[in-house]
Amino acid sequence: MLDINRLENILEDDGIVFLSYGGFLSQALISGMTEALEKESKINDINMTTSSNILTIFIELSQNMMNYSKVKTSSDDSFDSKGLIVVGYCKDDDSYYVLSRNIISHDDKRTIEPKIEQVIPLNKAELKILYRDLRKSGKGMHDKGAGIGFVEVARRCDSIEYNFSPIDDEKYYYAFKAIIKNKQKD
Amino acid sequence: MQKLHLKVTNYTPEILLDCDNGIISMVGKSYPENTFEFYKPVMEWLEDYFDGNAKEKTIVNMEIIYFNSSSSKLFFDFFDLLEEASSDNKLDINWIYDEENESALEAGEDFQEDFEELTINLVKK
Repeated sequence: MLDINRLENILEDDGIVFLSYGGFLSQALISGMTEALEKESKINDINMTTSSNILTIFIELSQNMMNYSKVKTSSDDSFDSKGLIVVGYCKDDDSYYVLSRNIISHDDKRTIEPKIEQVIPLNKAELKILYRDLRKSGKGMHDKGAGIGFVEVARRCDSIEYNFSPIDDEKYYYAFKAIIKNKQKD
Repeated sequence: MQKLHLKVTNYTPEILLDCDNGIISMVGKSYPENTFEFYKPVMEWLEDYFDGNAKEKTIVNMEIIYFNSSSSKLFFDFFDLLEEASSDNKLDINWIYDEENESALEAGEDFQEDFEELTINLVKK
């Protein structure tokens, strides 16, 4: 029998506000979680800028995972679509974080990694320029993930951590964490 | 041509395209799963409207609380369409934001900078 109290203690100790694990992420699920996060923000009286940044990053990362697993499951029967997404609060430095983790292929690591490495060293002004450049060059393009997603996330958070941990020759656990400092209400 | 009214959902804004009164308005959040598919009728309506059906003056009110990156691209195309229409049409464009939401203000400023030929008013709610 699952010890639900133990699970609850883990969540509370780590300041986890929200978590979803396993199975398919659907638009309905993402939307429901967004709504719950919105309520959470109101109850905790979080500054509107902070909460809008958390929500935007949450939507970006979860829709990324959803789209990725849709593409993958249609082309690869053995693909494991289990994804993890966590929204948490860190008391020590009064910050929130959004963490996503899923399984990706070696090829996809090669596409994703340079995109993350490109945004990490940039300051807010440089990110703004890159964002506007990419958006302009993507004019009229309807495909997903033309690369502004990571720039959007980087603009709206204070730091990014990421990790690729190999499962076997072909697959990796890909974890991405965006940390959002809580802007105090005036 | 006819008015187009799309009701608000959890992840799409309320959209009112009113050709009788020359009003284009979008209010809410925007993170649909298939953004371009969702906005296709909106963009088609706009093309049709500015193709000889526009009122003497058109008021555009955009009040988007937050949006995903594909919506950001879509809104870029939306303002691009407005910019093209602006040579023959009188447009009054408002980007409406909540004073407390700096990110929504920044998004409006980005569009202002990208579309210098348009006058986009940043309006505090």
